[in-house]
Amino acid sequence: MKKLILLPTLMLALISVSIDATSKKKKDKVGQGWRYEIESVGVGVPGTYLLKVWSYSANPEVAIEHAKKNAVHGVLFKGILGKPGIPSQRPLISNPNLENEKNDFFKSFFSDNGKYMKFVTLSTDGSVAAQDRLKVDREYKIGLVVSVNVRALRKDLEAAGVIKSLSSGF
Amino acid sequence: MKYFFKTALIFILLISGLTGFSQAKKPTIMVVPSDLWCNKNGYMLEYDNLGTPVKVPDYKRALQENADLLLAVSKINELMTDRGFPLKNLESSLRMLQNQSAEDAMFTSKSGAQINENPIDLLKKVTRADIWMQLTWTVNRNGPKRSITYVLQGLDAYTNKQIAGSSGTGQPSFSAELPVLLEEAVVAHLDNFNAQLQSHFDDLFENGREVALRIKVWDSFDGDLESEHDGMELSEIIEYWVDDNTVKGRFNLSIATENMMFFEQVRIPLYNERDRAMDARAWARELRKMLRSEYQIESKLMMQGLGQAQLVIGEK
Repeated sequence: MKKLILLPTLMLALISVSIDATSKKKKDKVGQGWRYEIESVGVGVPGTYLLKVWSYSANPEVAIEHAKKNAVHGVLFKGILGKPGIPSQRPLISNPNLENEKNDFFKSFFSDNGKYMKFVTLSTDGSVAAQDRLKVDREYKIGLVVSVNVRALRKDLEAAGVIKSLSSGF
Repeated sequence: MKYFFKTALIFILLISGLTGFSQAKKPTIMVVPSDLWCNKNGYMLEYDNLGTPVKVPDYKRALQENADLLLAVSKINELMTDRGFPLKNLESSLRMLQNQSAEDAMFTSKSGAQINENPIDLLKKVTRADIWMQLTWTVNRNGPKRSITYVLQGLDAYTNKQIAGSSGTGQPSFSAELPVLLEEAVVAHLDNFNAQLQSHFDDLFENGREVALRIKVWDSFDGDLESEHDGMELSEIIEYWVDDNTVKGRFNLSIATENMMFFEQVRIPLYNERDRAMDARAWARELRKMLRSEYQIESKLMMQGLGQAQLVIGEK
């Protein structure tokens, strides 16, 4: 009788753990809803932006991985906040609805190991300074400095017809 | 086989022709130092204009003597070329004007005739661009620290509107030299400038090119803009034509007297009904044709770049 009660209980516990793990994974993957903060750190070499991205996740490793994706997303859709001595930068895409309008393109672009990886590099080999690793409630807020090759990113999007080049139409 | 090649060739020519027509006329852009920068750095020419001293910037001397200016202009040109929008170079334009004048002075035909130039032709022999990128920078010193305040303005040569701009003060530095600070400022600000320029071009494609039209009257003309033709004043006829031939009827008649009219913020379509690219001159030519065919009034059309036309009524 004891065995009969124990078995379903164990099975239920296993299922609930697996559901929780899947939902967490999902949340870390796409469900984060582009939750990040981005700011300019300095003037990089021509054609690149040097940025600090703050990403959120329950798992610090995932937050580090998201930093690259968030940086490219920020350059494309949000724009970069400046600070004294460093000007703010407007987003490459002026139409805020374009992400939905070209959903298929951006889904594949921002997929894991997607094309976005070509345009971004972690400037400190992924090491996070102690003051840039913050625990907020149950999750981590991780700040990483990344470099985005805006020139190549723009040219790629122009070639794909996602954004217009300055001379298009003339 | 021959017939096939012929047909294919005609088809290719037709397609290339059509795509050629669908391109709007590209505005020329040139980087120049601002009057303020030229004045502060002593690159001004002074001349006497009927008793009033007038100062104008001396671009040629500035480019010959100031290496920092050359660096900034060349860096902007380089970055704009990278964006697929090569700019007209100020130094080359000045040199070309000089060579052209020297050539014209020496030019004679076999019979000994010389190139004909009237005072207006001479007056128009200056460097031209449709959009001026006006550059200013000042060096700020705070003890041993130096920083640069940088201003880049994009000015429409015909409407005098600022269509793009970017400005700011860079981070102070103890060690960086002026050319490095200047280059950094150009790199940091140009993307914002281009984003605004892109918005201006988007607006141009959506609402038409913004031009200005000036109407004047020769003193030999029998009448003026208030003379009546078929029950309407000439100025009314012109105003109705402009209204009918602008995008969404957008224009502003800012001056109207019996001798002149000045239309500004006139939005003309980028292409005519034959799908050919239009500028202010091509557009105003239709007005000249209408006045001649419907009212037997001759006029002379003069242009200034893509965006300004002047029609003088009475004769050619």
